[in-house]
Amino acid sequence: MFLLLVLIPLFLVLLLNLNLYKVNYKIAVLIAGLFSLFQMFFIFSPNFFSTGLVDLLSLRFECDGISWIMLFSIAIVSFAAICVLYASETIASGKKFHFVNLVLLALAGMNGLVFVRDIFSIYVFIEIIAATSYVLIALDKTKKSLEASFKYLVISSVATVMMLSAVAILFMAAGSTDFIKVAQMYKEYGANPLIVVASVFFIVGLFIKGGVMPFHGWLPDAYSASPNPTSVFLAGIVTKTTGIYTLVRLYAIFDFNYSMQLVFLVFGSLSIVIAAIGAINQDNFKRMLAYSSISQVGYIVLAFGSGTILGVFAGMFHLFNHSVFKSLLFVNASALESRVNTNQIHNMSGLASRMPVTSTTSVIAFLSTAGIPPLAGFWSKLLIVLALWFSGNKEFAVLALLASIFTLTYFLIMQKKIFFGQLKEKFNTIKEARFTIRLASLFLCAITILTGLFFPIILNFMAFLFSF
Amino acid sequence: MSYDIMLLLVVAIPVLFSALIPLFGKVSVFIRNFFALVLMLIPFLLLIIIFQAVQAGIPVDFVYEFPILEINFILQADIFSVFVAMASVLVSIVVLIYSFEYIKSYDNQNEYFFIVLLFVGSMMGIVFSANLIFIYFFWEMTALASWRLIGYFREKEYVRRANKTFIMTAAGALCMLIGFLMIAEQAGSFDLDVISAANLQGSAVNLAIILIILGIFSKSATFPLHSWLADAGIAPSPVTALLHAAVLVKIGVYVYARLFNFTIVPSEEIRIVLFSIVSVSAFLSGAVAFVEKDIKRVIAFSTISQIAFIFLGFISGGKFAFVGAMLFILMHGLAKAGLFLSAGIIEHKIHTKQLDMMGGLFRYMPITAFAFAGCALSVMGIPPFAGFFSKFLVIFGTVYDQNIIAALIFIICAGLTVLYTVRLFWKVFLGSQKKYPNIEKENWNSPMVLSVVSLAFLSLILTFSFGYLFYIANLAAQTIKGQGF
Repeated sequence: MFLLLVLIPLFLVLLLNLNLYKVNYKIAVLIAGLFSLFQMFFIFSPNFFSTGLVDLLSLRFECDGISWIMLFSIAIVSFAAICVLYASETIASGKKFHFVNLVLLALAGMNGLVFVRDIFSIYVFIEIIAATSYVLIALDKTKKSLEASFKYLVISSVATVMMLSAVAILFMAAGSTDFIKVAQMYKEYGANPLIVVASVFFIVGLFIKGGVMPFHGWLPDAYSASPNPTSVFLAGIVTKTTGIYTLVRLYAIFDFNYSMQLVFLVFGSLSIVIAAIGAINQDNFKRMLAYSSISQVGYIVLAFGSGTILGVFAGMFHLFNHSVFKSLLFVNASALESRVNTNQIHNMSGLASRMPVTSTTSVIAFLSTAGIPPLAGFWSKLLIVLALWFSGNKEFAVLALLASIFTLTYFLIMQKKIFFGQLKEKFNTIKEARFTIRLASLFLCAITILTGLFFPIILNFMAFLFSF
Repeated sequence: MSYDIMLLLVVAIPVLFSALIPLFGKVSVFIRNFFALVLMLIPFLLLIIIFQAVQAGIPVDFVYEFPILEINFILQADIFSVFVAMASVLVSIVVLIYSFEYIKSYDNQNEYFFIVLLFVGSMMGIVFSANLIFIYFFWEMTALASWRLIGYFREKEYVRRANKTFIMTAAGALCMLIGFLMIAEQAGSFDLDVISAANLQGSAVNLAIILIILGIFSKSATFPLHSWLADAGIAPSPVTALLHAAVLVKIGVYVYARLFNFTIVPSEEIRIVLFSIVSVSAFLSGAVAFVEKDIKRVIAFSTISQIAFIFLGFISGGKFAFVGAMLFILMHGLAKAGLFLSAGIIEHKIHTKQLDMMGGLFRYMPITAFAFAGCALSVMGIPPFAGFFSKFLVIFGTVYDQNIIAALIFIICAGLTVLYTVRLFWKVFLGSQKKYPNIEKENWNSPMVLSVVSLAFLSLILTFSFGYLFYIANLAAQTIKGQGF
């Protein structure tokens, strides 16, 4: 039954492009928006899990709690991205149509990725998503976006080569690419140097895809130069699914020993601290958000590094929260850009009085990022810290906590420069962003607040998903 | 309705329903103000009922256990917590009534009342939480609220100072959280009851205590982490009154007492260090208050100095010192709120905060002057004002606990208090007559003047119920850990 989530978007792409009817971009946007809403509610249907395993062309598909969280985040973020796309004034309507097609393809890819239980299929789906993202980034064909897309393409193909060779080595050793077979092989030959090389290749490939420091080179460019709906989509969910979610799956395969844990912990904390410091001095709003994104990804990787089930749980919860509040911030960035026509922070000032919804929701989003109660980000950060502390990695827990100060600092600077302060005269006539953008902001903002306030209920539900 | 649910409502009503204030504000100003006042009065009435139950020895606690984790949402009431909660809600009500008139002419009023209510609600959360994680939870919520309140005016400089406050207190709070984690690791739980029963000791616990105290000092603006408090004076006067008198700095003091008088006993070395820190804090800020030229900064430094007195009482920890410190929270709250609110009236009238521009204001605002004098006398600790008894008890208790040197220093600080307060009163109300273009005559039935007068009146009248207050505080003191009364 859950395979519908992969097949429907593919079918929709076909339908839109058969030219049976005259389809303009509005209908396409509507269809994509409806599909993401459908996904949001469909996964709540009670017999969603009950279909169990599906053996399709000998690929194993399976849905568990982790997949469920991913499906939910994917639906939310793509809905926000579609809203932003609809309101965008800089993208030509023909391109909007292409955009919808690409988003639907990427959705099929991501939904597939979270279901598969086989390392080769993981590779295939990651490549589907990557191929759509190259185009999505370069969609408006400005010099900067082409450059960013090219950079992503080059760096990403390095990751591709590494992952493919890792898959090849593992296939050679295990005789199959199925998770269970590979895991059995790891139990026997885990210490073999060739297998260690394969693991390293796979992890580094995923770190590149997820933009973990020091493999993040492509990420700030890709997020800041791409058109607004793309940056929402990319930052909110695409890199999280391809890079970070897949890391959790490797847990199930690899023999998770202390040296691997240390890799996660070290690279995670590196990302947190360096990216947070990097974000402080950015003048481009979207670039600042990109660095903040790297920093938050660091938290997720750090949580996985604790090596306990609580850590995985905390990391996934943070991933969900992050995709909500980071896409909210990117939605707000596009709201600002649509009104002020710039991303440069020093050109904006005092916009709170002219754009109250954007201002308020961005305060809430960044407070959630910085882990201030009662918002959702507080709980996930707390869980991460608890997981690290009680698994004996206290120094990393302390580091994760103290780094929140940096997060708070750059967001306070951002809020002060953009929204507070004196309103510049040329902005006197500015109006609040268009309706669908506001809709997306308020929707994401409501999720952040409600998740924070009703955390016990969420926790109960997550405990059910993870069958604690 | 059971007492447990009432306790939950005391926290939940202001925290959750405050979000409705902006909606009411869109309808009408009067309905909004009325609603805000109701949101403040209901918890106060509930607190009175709970107080009677607690006094009668009925245990009042609300428990919600979390699945999976050790973080349980526990609210617990005892005499000490209900007393502190009532003291701050009482002051907050007066401040709220004052704000109705004060804030009338500014932007973002809806946000103001929303945040004030959220602020008081989070304070209730801290006071009643019996779990370290939730103490931190509400603690950060107050930081959030004070950030928006201090940065109420959106000019660049104001926002910068608000950001400074936020970052300083949040950094302190993170240190505190690390301390909490260390404590929880030793005791095996975040619940205060379990920690209290575990009788923690050792070097790891000492380190944890130091980290927690860093957080507390950053919140209650004790030297050397005090610098944000004077800067916060740029906020509207009712906000500074809330921060200094009713809520923010009292949170630090309260959590100190809750953790280190009732739950964990700090070692003798730590207490000596703390004695020296608060002595330095009291003395330096008293001295600075003597030379400051801005009326609100003088009162702000006076707060830092007086907070040190409360700390002295709790650190000394004996029966009399504790009783004195506990009553000091109420007395200082009333009197200091009165001083700040008077400063707000003066600022509204002559549009400056500089002492050099003031003088001879007694002629124009005699009622405010009398109220100011009353509150000032209470802060100084001059009988028959209620401030005398609490200050006397703190110092007497310190001597009683054999901490003679600390007591001597604080007697000098009490002298300093008298000096700078008298100077302040002289400079503002007496002194050489200055010219004030188009100053309005002060009005008896203005809510602003009435609130100030009522605070001064309360500071005086509470002297006569001192026996009862002492009895209450004594009941609370009997539950202190490790003293064995």
